[in-house]
Amino acid sequence: MTKQLDLLDIQGNILRAYGRFGYPVARYVFLNVRNTAKGREFVGEITKKVTTSVEWGDGPGKIKQPDRTVNIAFTYQGLKDLGVPISSLVGFSPEFASGMKGRKDILGDDGPSSPEHWDPIWRGNRETREKDVHIFISLNALAGQGLDWLTVAEKNRDDAYAWLLDEINKTEGGVVLLDGHLGDDDANLNYQDVRVVLDNNGVPTPKEHFGYTDGISDPVFEGVPYDERRVKGRGKQMPGGTWAPLATGEFLLGHVDEAKEYPPAPEPILLSRNGTYMIYRKLHENVATFDRYLEEQGSKFPGGKALLAAKFVGRWPDTGVPLVKAPDAASNAKFGAQLLSLNAALNAAQKKGDKESVKSNEQAIDDILSDFTYDDDMSGAKCPFSSHIRRINPRASLEMMNEEGDKPGSFKVSKDAFDTPGALANRRRLLRRGLPYGEVKDRTRDDGNHGIVIMMVNADINRQFEFVQQQWVNYGNDFKAGNDKEIILGNHSMDDNFPSKAVIEADPDSDQPPYILSKIPRLVVTRGGDYFFIPSMTALRMIAQGVIDPT
Amino acid sequence: MSNIAGKAYAMNVITPIRPYTTWVNKFIFWIAVKIPGTLKGLITLSLIHYARWVIIGKDQFPHLDPKQPKEELNYTYMMFFSNFNGSWDQYVDSFTFAIPGGLDLFWKWNIRYSKSVPLTPFHDYIRYNQIETIHYYNAYPLAASNDVKSAKTVKSSLIKFEQDTRNVSGDNFLKLYNALLRGLQHDMGDMYPTPIVSMSAHQVERRQKWHAANLPEGGAGPTGGTAPKEAHGHSAKKGK
Ligand code: HEM
Repeated sequence: MTKQLDLLDIQGNILRAYGRFGYPVARYVFLNVRNTAKGREFVGEITKKVTTSVEWGDGPGKIKQPDRTVNIAFTYQGLKDLGVPISSLVGFSPEFASGMKGRKDILGDDGPSSPEHWDPIWRGNRETREKDVHIFISLNALAGQGLDWLTVAEKNRDDAYAWLLDEINKTEGGVVLLDGHLGDDDANLNYQDVRVVLDNNGVPTPKEHFGYTDGISDPVFEGVPYDERRVKGRGKQMPGGTWAPLATGEFLLGHVDEAKEYPPAPEPILLSRNGTYMIYRKLHENVATFDRYLEEQGSKFPGGKALLAAKFVGRWPDTGVPLVKAPDAASNAKFGAQLLSLNAALNAAQKKGDKESVKSNEQAIDDILSDFTYDDDMSGAKCPFSSHIRRINPRASLEMMNEEGDKPGSFKVSKDAFDTPGALANRRRLLRRGLPYGEVKDRTRDDGNHGIVIMMVNADINRQFEFVQQQWVNYGNDFKAGNDKEIILGNHSMDDNFPSKAVIEADPDSDQPPYILSKIPRLVVTRGGDYFFIPSMTALRMIAQGVIDPT
Repeated sequence: MSNIAGKAYAMNVITPIRPYTTWVNKFIFWIAVKIPGTLKGLITLSLIHYARWVIIGKDQFPHLDPKQPKEELNYTYMMFFSNFNGSWDQYVDSFTFAIPGGLDLFWKWNIRYSKSVPLTPFHDYIRYNQIETIHYYNAYPLAASNDVKSAKTVKSSLIKFEQDTRNVSGDNFLKLYNALLRGLQHDMGDMYPTPIVSMSAHQVERRQKWHAANLPEGGAGPTGGTAPKEAHGHSAKKGK
C-alpha cells in the first residue's frame, strides 16, 4: 500500500472497529444544542479528547493505546444549529439532510419497524427543535487483562461518561443530554449502552444474540496501515481471485473513489476531507421468533437445523466459517478444530509477545474465515443467494449467467462481462461498527432489551447503505429472486396475503429439490437511528471556532 | 410527468453527433448486433426490458404540420431509448461500474461526451441531454425484466413437465418434480410492487392508496410503507 492517510486527522472510529481492538463495552450519547456559541465551545472541549486513527504502540509516530476512546458526529440539524453556514450545508447529501426517519419508505422501515414504534429519543427526533438529535458521542472502554476485565472496562466507561457529563454541565444548558433510550424493562435512559455478548460463564464471545459469530468481515481500503495484511476477502475481488484494497474515497470524503473521482462533499474541502457519513441503527432481535422459526423449518430442512441456521447467514453460527468453504457439518467441524488450535496458539503468542507468531496465526485464521469468493458457488448451492452475507456483499457473484445448454437452475461466471469482477459490489461496501446491546434473559420471548447497534460508515449514504438496504435486503431482483428478501434482515411481510419466502438453492448437479423457506417472520426490527457526519479533526476545530466559510 | 411506471423507468437521451462521423456510430451499432459478446455486459446486467439506439439525420425529425416551424439543425442526433429497472442513479451507476468501455464505445463520437468514468461528468451529460417522459404506459408494472424472463421459463417448463409426467409412476413423478423445482430455483421470486424509487407527492399518495386497498388490516405489506398507528405487526385485529 503506497497511499499515506493523515491518521492524526481522521477520527478513530472510522478506521477501527474498537470491539476488535480490546474495547468490549461502549456508551453512545446524544445531545441537543440549545445555544450555538456554547455548543461550539463544547465541541471545542470534546475535540481535545477525540480519539484519532493514529497507530498504537511504541514505535515512532505511534501513541499508547487509550483506556477509553471518544468520538463525535453530527446530524444535519446539529451542524446547522452549530452555525455551519447554509452555503456549506447545501453541499451535504439530500438523504443526510432528510435523516433516517424521512427515508423510511426507502429503507423499508414499516410495520413494527416504522418510526412510531422507535425508542422515544428517535420518535422525538426531527419533530420539535428541543428534541432534535444534534450530536452523537461514543465512548468505548478498554477491557482489563485479568479476570476483572469487565469491571475495568465498565470503570473506564463510567470515568469517560462522568467526564462527558461534566463537560455538558459546563455549558449551563447550552447543550442538553437527550433521554429516551429504552433499556431493560423499558427503563428510560440517557444513553445507549452496548457490550459484547457473554457466555454462560461470563466469558466474552464474538456472538450476537441469535447466536452467530459476528465481526469478521469489514472492508479494507487503501491507506490504513493496520489493515494491510487483511485484504484477502475484505478488499475488492480482482481477476483471478486476487484481492486489492478498495479506493479510499469509498469511505472517506476528499479522497478518490472507485469511480476515479472525489465523492460529492460539502465545501470548503477542509470541512469534508477526512470526514465521512455514519448510519446509526438500533436493531431489535426477535430471538424467540428466530428460535421457533429455525426449529420449525429445521425439522423439515433436509440438511437439519444447524445447516439451516448457517444458510440464513452464509456462515456457520458456532465457528463463523463461510458456507462456501464448509458446505456441510463435517467440513465445518474440521475447520472449527483448526480454528481452535490457531486461536490457542495466537493467545499463547500474544502472552509471550511473540509478534511473528501473532502475525502468522492471525493470517491463518483470516485465511479460513475471510479469504473466499463465490466463484465456485455461482448457483448458490452452498451459500444461498438470499443469505445475509451474500446479499450484503455479493463480491463478484453478480457477474453471472445461464446460457442455452447450461443446466437449468445453474449459473456460471459471465467471464469478462464487466470491467472488473466486483463491479456491482465495489461501490456498495460498508464499514461496520457498533456492538450488541442488552441481554437475552428469556429466549422464549421476543420482547426485552436485546439487539445490535450497528453503525455503518460510507462516503455516500444513498449509493452505499440505502442501496444495499433497499435493493439487496428488501428486494431481490439483482439476485434473480424477484421480490424475495434477505432472510435475516428483510422487512418480511406481516400480512398473510403476502407471505415472505426465500429459496435455499440445491446443487443443480444433484437430484435434490431446492428448499423453500416459507412464511418468514420479521426477525429484526428497527428501533431508531439517524444519519450522521463524522468530521475530521481539522473540521471539528473549525466548527468549534465558527470559521467554516466556503466563500 | 413521470419517467417511472411500475418497475420500469423510461429514459430518452438525445445527443448530437457531427454529421461526418455518423457513419462511425452506425458501424459500431452494426458490429454490436453482429458480434455476440459486445453486449455481454448489458445482458449480464439484465436490467433492461428494451433499449434502442437510433441515429436521426438532421432532416429526419418529424414535421407533422406545415404550421410547425422548421428547426435549423447543425448536427445529426443519436437517440438512446431504454426501459430499465431501478432508479435513474441505480441504473446509470450499474452501467458505469460494470461496462464503462461499452458506454464509451457507443457515445464516444457524440459531441461533448465526457467518458463514463469519472461518474459525475457522465451523470451531468446524461441528465442534460435527457428528455423527460410525459406519458408512460406499462402493461405489467409488477414485472422487472428478470420477472418476464422467469415467467417465460416457468411457463415452458411447466408445459413440458405436464407432458413428461402424464404416464409416469409415483417415484418417477417425484424425481421429475424435484428436477422441475431445481431447474426453476432462480425463477421463483415473488412479484410484488417495486421498491420505492420516487418520493414525489403523487407517487407517495398512490402507494398509500394501494396500501389502503390491499392491506385493510394495516399490516406491513410487501413494499412496506406507512402502517396505521394501531398496527403492531402481530396485530390483535388480525382475527376475522
Ligand atoms: C440484527 C441484525 C444483524 C445481524 C444479526 C447481523 C449478523 C451478521 C453476521 C452473523 C455476519 C457474519 C459475520 C461477518 O462476516 O462479520 C454479518 C456480516 C455482515 N453484516 Fe450483518 N447483521 C445484522 C445487521 C446488519 C445490517 C443492518 C447491515 C447493513 C445494512 C449489515 C451488514 C453486514 C455486512 C456488510 C457484513 C459483512 C459481509 C461480508 O463482507 O461478507 N448487517 N452480519
